[in-house]
Amino acid sequence: MMDGKSKRPARLGSFRAKFILVVGGAVLFDLLVSGGLALWNVQRLSRDATLEVGQGLEAASQEYIRTYADSTAAQVSLLLRQVHNDVSTLAGVLQAQIDDPERNSVVGAAIARTSPGSVSLSYDQKANWSQNAPGSVSVVSVWSYLLGEDHNPRPDVQTDIQTSAVLDLVAPSLLQHGASKLQMYYIGSKERPIFRTAPYTDQAQTFDRLYPGHNEANFWDFFFPGLYESWQGWAKDMKTRPVADDITQTAPYTDAITGKLIVSFFQPLWTADRKDVAGTAGADITLDQLAQTVENVKVAQSGFGFLAMSDGNVVAINSTGEKTLGLRSASDASGSGVTGLERSLKGSSQPAIAKLALDRELGIQHLLLQQEGNEVPYIVIVKKLPATNLWSSGPVRQEAMSLGVVVPEREIQASLYAAQAKISEATNRIVIYQILAILMSLLVVAIAVIAASKRITSGISALADAAKRIQAKDYSVRVAITSKDEVGEAGEAFNRMAEQISYHTENLEQLVEERTAQIEDAKEEISTLNAQLQRENRRLGTELAVAERIQLMVLPLHQELEEFQALEIAAYMRPAEEVGGDYYDVLKSGNRLKIGIGDVTGHGLESGVLMLMVQSVARALQEAGNTDAVKFLTDLNSALFKNIVRTKIDKHLTLAFLDYDGKEMILSGQHEEVVVVRANGEVERIDTMDLGIPIGLEADISAFIKTREITFETGDLILLHTDGVTEAENDAGELFGIERLCREALRLKDQSAEKVVAGIIATLMLFIGSQKIYDDITLLAVRHR
Amino acid sequence: MEISDENFRVWAEKNEVYFDGVFRLAGPDAYAPIYSLISGLLHEGHKQVTFNLTGLEFLNSSGINLLAKLTIEARKMDDLLLVVKGTSQYPWQAKSLPNLKKLHPLIDLRLA
Repeated sequence: MMDGKSKRPARLGSFRAKFILVVGGAVLFDLLVSGGLALWNVQRLSRDATLEVGQGLEAASQEYIRTYADSTAAQVSLLLRQVHNDVSTLAGVLQAQIDDPERNSVVGAAIARTSPGSVSLSYDQKANWSQNAPGSVSVVSVWSYLLGEDHNPRPDVQTDIQTSAVLDLVAPSLLQHGASKLQMYYIGSKERPIFRTAPYTDQAQTFDRLYPGHNEANFWDFFFPGLYESWQGWAKDMKTRPVADDITQTAPYTDAITGKLIVSFFQPLWTADRKDVAGTAGADITLDQLAQTVENVKVAQSGFGFLAMSDGNVVAINSTGEKTLGLRSASDASGSGVTGLERSLKGSSQPAIAKLALDRELGIQHLLLQQEGNEVPYIVIVKKLPATNLWSSGPVRQEAMSLGVVVPEREIQASLYAAQAKISEATNRIVIYQILAILMSLLVVAIAVIAASKRITSGISALADAAKRIQAKDYSVRVAITSKDEVGEAGEAFNRMAEQISYHTENLEQLVEERTAQIEDAKEEISTLNAQLQRENRRLGTELAVAERIQLMVLPLHQELEEFQALEIAAYMRPAEEVGGDYYDVLKSGNRLKIGIGDVTGHGLESGVLMLMVQSVARALQEAGNTDAVKFLTDLNSALFKNIVRTKIDKHLTLAFLDYDGKEMILSGQHEEVVVVRANGEVERIDTMDLGIPIGLEADISAFIKTREITFETGDLILLHTDGVTEAENDAGELFGIERLCREALRLKDQSAEKVVAGIIATLMLFIGSQKIYDDITLLAVRHR
Repeated sequence: MEISDENFRVWAEKNEVYFDGVFRLAGPDAYAPIYSLISGLLHEGHKQVTFNLTGLEFLNSSGINLLAKLTIEARKMDDLLLVVKGTSQYPWQAKSLPNLKKLHPLIDLRLA
């Protein structure tokens, strides 16, 4: 037995090396392609994801900022709208009073009665104006130029003081609720610009401190030059309003009363006939309140909001924002009226900001701002607020404030950067894993391929080795392949073959010996058989020779046939190759002559013996003086039948006799036709069928024997024959036949018996030619001399 | 049942035996199987057995011996009618078959 695990190195060019190369190469190629594709796809996916996420995040951030800006703008607008509403409410009440003078005076009188402090003024000698005492709901100031000689308000002014007191009923409630406001007030018409304000403050005193000279000039012209005239223009034609709304806003300025930066909101009051201005209702909010909303904007970490006028003047921004945008406050008193605040974007130290146009809705802009010598990218979104009527100086114009939101781009992008970093990290991780997986797969596949190749090729190399060893005539080799595949099957087949080869080669000699022995046995058997055959042949030959001898031995001698004066007898007998049982005899007893002819069935010794018996019995009967032809045949049959039963010779014979006593020729017994050729050339064929029956079939045949006399005279010729003559065949398979026999007899009738027989036999032999003689040929000619 | 070689054929159908062709068998031993076949049929208990020889072109003397023996066999069976159908087309039949009638007069011999 041979171990299948041969320690054969996988040399280059071996099946295993090729196998590993092909499979490994294919797998490696596959892995590299799939791995490369995977890596490429991961990279692309990462790139796409980054882009997608970046775009998404940027869009989201921008959307967020935009939304933030929108909501902030909405808040600012809402705040302003609330203030507007409060002002409109106050204005509505005052306007309703103006429109109903009667009620106006009655309400005014009623308030004067119930709240005298609100309408009772006291003149300030030093300041030269009149004002009610503290403790009232509102303060009302009456300037010097509205006082009479007696330092009391002019009567028309007094009326206004009284009717304007209706403010006390509305303003406290409006101040308490609604938008947070600094103060609400009523300013009279240009003719009587009294100033009634809730809550109560030292109003006139503050004015004196902040705005010296105001007490001598008309209030409107001094504080808000051009505003009143604008309103008068509106009264003439409402269409001249820059914005279809009566509310008019001022630019931020320092409040004379509180000293805070404020924005005033006015709603002009009209005369009942709506042809002129009848004063105004107003409310102040501090810039802080407005800016609060804006300044509270906090986007990302350091994002901020700002509110700017259309001229770039920033009205609200937190300190960080102020610094970032490089704004410089310049409170220049070059303007007239209320002191404004100048903190314009145009004056920014940042060129990008200075360039930033705020008069257009620009949406998102990317700006680079200088910070400590670096350019830092920022995102700026600017949103226009709903337009309003604005007075800063001169006529009222349309103004739309802008709200800006400024965020460092880095902070907005922070999440994007984070996402990108995460994606990149994930990508790197995937790539590493992928490479690891490829390497692992390679390792596993390599191990598997090598193992499989070893497994597969070990079988094949085992087979190859084993085949070589068989070639080297080592037939004991067997392979141990356990795999359940074709190689395994080949191994099994190989083992079976090897076994057979081994068996055959190892057992060749034995086989040869066996075969030789068998052949010898066969030879011996053949020899034995040959010997047997030879013996049999000899026996048969001997038998046949004996039969032939018997047959010929009992035939009458030639001279016996010549003993008759009256008759000329010639006979011919030729036994067939297998010796039949033809019989003829000529028995002489005294002057009686008995000529017999017969044919025993079959061939061989038994037929000869039966014929010999017939001859002996016939001779015995003849000698016993049996002259009755019928009795003769009956007795002969009787004797023969008994002998046939005894000898179990399963045969019979035809037998006919001619009895001649010198005068009569008597025919008896059944045999072939007797041919008689008369001297005159007539040919007679005598049928013998009714003259007897075959001998040896029946114990007693006396009933069947008949005799027939044949006329026999000088020159007549009688021919006796056996069926060997008539049934002789030529090459064509034709029979010689009785007619040919008759023709030949007729042809030869004048010749001697000898010649007749010889002639007929010659013709017959010519006829037969090279054909086998199947049956004995017997011919007898009897001629009457 | 059938016995045959290239020249002849013997077979039985019910109670009729058919001989066909040329019979040149060498002696009684050779004819023994045919004898057994027909002898068996004779003893099967049929009321009538027919030897149909109309196709029997030639029968040698040993064959005639066989027919004779079968006829004698049939003669021993009182309640069996043996019918022999022959034909005078073949001369040997006209010559030899009447011998069967001599052996067993009750044979119904029909030489067509």
